[in-house]
Amino acid sequence: MRLFTGVIAILFLGLTLLPVGAMVWQTFASGTIALHFDELFLSAQAWKLLRHTILLATLVTLLTTLVGVPLGILMGKTDLPLRPLFVFLFLVPLLLPPYIVAVAWNDLLIMAGFGSGTLSGLGGSLFVLFCVYLSVPTLMTILFLRTVPPSLEEAGRLCAPWPSVLRYVTLPMILPGILLSAMIVFLLSLGELSVPIYLHYEVYAVESFTQFTAFYRFDTATATALPLILVALVMTMAENRFLKKRTATFRHFAGSDTFLRISLGFKRYPLFLAAAFLAGVVTILPMTALAMEAGDFQHLAEAFLASHDALLRSLLYAAAGATLLTFFGFLLGYTLLKRPFRCAGALDPVAIFLFTLPGTVVAIAMIFFWNRPFAQIVYATPLIVLLGYLAKYSALTGRISLARLSMIPASMEEAAQMAGADWSQRLRHILLPLAADAIAGAWVVAYLFILRDVDLTILLYPPGEDTLPVRIFTMMANGSPELVASLCLIMATVTLLPAAAAWGVFVRKRRRK
Amino acid sequence: MTMVAFENVTLRYGERVILENFSLQVKKRERLVIFGPSGSGKTTILRMVAGFVAPERGTVSIAERPVSADGRILVPPEKRGVGMVFQDLALWPHMSVEENVGFGLMVRKVPKTERKRRVEEILELVGLKGFGSKNPSDLSGGEQQRVALARALILEPDVLLMDEPLSSLDRPLAEHLAHEIVRLQKRVGFTLLYVTHLEEEAAIIGTRRLTIRKHTSSSQTSRPEIF
Repeated sequence: MRLFTGVIAILFLGLTLLPVGAMVWQTFASGTIALHFDELFLSAQAWKLLRHTILLATLVTLLTTLVGVPLGILMGKTDLPLRPLFVFLFLVPLLLPPYIVAVAWNDLLIMAGFGSGTLSGLGGSLFVLFCVYLSVPTLMTILFLRTVPPSLEEAGRLCAPWPSVLRYVTLPMILPGILLSAMIVFLLSLGELSVPIYLHYEVYAVESFTQFTAFYRFDTATATALPLILVALVMTMAENRFLKKRTATFRHFAGSDTFLRISLGFKRYPLFLAAAFLAGVVTILPMTALAMEAGDFQHLAEAFLASHDALLRSLLYAAAGATLLTFFGFLLGYTLLKRPFRCAGALDPVAIFLFTLPGTVVAIAMIFFWNRPFAQIVYATPLIVLLGYLAKYSALTGRISLARLSMIPASMEEAAQMAGADWSQRLRHILLPLAADAIAGAWVVAYLFILRDVDLTILLYPPGEDTLPVRIFTMMANGSPELVASLCLIMATVTLLPAAAAWGVFVRKRRRK
Repeated sequence: MTMVAFENVTLRYGERVILENFSLQVKKRERLVIFGPSGSGKTTILRMVAGFVAPERGTVSIAERPVSADGRILVPPEKRGVGMVFQDLALWPHMSVEENVGFGLMVRKVPKTERKRRVEEILELVGLKGFGSKNPSDLSGGEQQRVALARALILEPDVLLMDEPLSSLDRPLAEHLAHEIVRLQKRVGFTLLYVTHLEEEAAIIGTRRLTIRKHTSSSQTSRPEIF
């Protein structure tokens, strides 16, 4: 076990952290920073970028947390009708490439008679990213509500009404989960590329992307990425120090039979209407606008014919990437739980650090590392895209696996060990079957995150091998609005149909339990 | 013959002393009950015999062969000839009763027909004939306990470790099963190390009793005393 997990750990670090480390080293070694320090970090433009980036990420985090946590309690803790449907509707924007929501709302505003620039700037970016990331605190709240032992709430209910129990018992217990969700939203907003580009709001990720793609100033692009790397590092340390122990593993997870639900009584009607209104704003209205802008079936058919190759590649990349991520994620989770060698615990902060890095930064690091004559088999093929996904998203599958594995009593594996099963047999016969639901869940999450990815893929795809989100993004500048809307609708359909099916299976399974 | 021996064993978790210079000898076919309050280190003694925990200092031997010493596991759990019934029973929910019980034979590549025969035999021995195809979650607490016992016994261990296996059952059923465990031990002949914190169970099971008392010293560490 030690040898195998050690090899996997070295492979993981070599394929993911090494390129980023090499890029940072080169940035300092080349003297770019010393040469252009004033221009990069002290100029008015640099401060403007920093202000914009932090302001946008902070406002998105505040707004999504303020709305998402109560929404999560409403969806996860009460008897509101149609909760699974609502949760799925709130999830829809997160499953799509973020710019699709921007395109949809832009179309909607134009149809309503507003000018095409109404949505641009900070306000527009804030609104779109709020729609996109609202489901993060909502889902995290729902998840962490399940980790509160019912007896603690019951003890509170003996002497206080539900609002007081929520305030003094439940919310303090799920606070680490709420903080983690706020951190995730902050970091995702910080590294967001496609929405600020589309809505003309200058942020660091856009600057780094522009330096790299428009001017091909590699050193400047990596240097402008340094503040984002620094923020990612600070966030990773904070998460590791304050949140990890309370959020990475679960000691208790309530099943449907033991979970305490709040009966809303007559309040369910106004709350239902409020939830329906929010779902309308976040998902139904923009998706309807896309469908209307796309026009008739012929437009859709034309768009499909023009992009079916990119669509197929998107699905293939997502499936291959998800499989790779699930494999590494499971072994990372297992290694983190069992700690078979010294420093095994360091794998988690590394994965989290890479997840917190903006996609553009990870992509530039991959290009820097693999663009060498001997490495063309990686650089000139979709392998580099898959390695980019591995670096960026392994924290997701690793943490899902770790959370599930930590819920399997150690005695399950020990009993198999007593029966004579070696490590691989224990893994195959005991842990894999017991964690099968989480492994499938991790695969789906990885698949959906890769399918919606733009920031990484747009820089890494080999010539002529683009994905549908990238193709739509590049067509937004000069493609017809009908074609762009049709392509967005196709992208939404291929993402949401399997996601809806997976959600349906999950809800049915939970009800059966 | 001494089946299990602890020689000057010391174990600490951080600053908390679990065992200090602890020595013990358990003879073949003996039924030793380890009795004491929660958190006194009873389970740790079993886990050291099983091979999940190594003593910081001292030696643990099984059948007069050192199996762990001075922080090192010399013989891994699967090669110690020891069976264990866990406190939570640890029945694998994705396997049937038959698969749970026959798992040890399966990983030892025992042919399927032989495996089936031995599983049926052991299920009959514990009074679960015909339960093979059921899922553990479909069984009562007492039946689940018997499955765990069958799984531990199928490999014919020299030593059987039982960690409060009856703690989740009501008293009449627990006492009934305790008598059955004694009957089974006399018939099969294994050495039994049985952890409990219940006086009645200890009285039924044990031919000898090891009482562990926990106390808190002024330095905030707890240390068991062995009688």
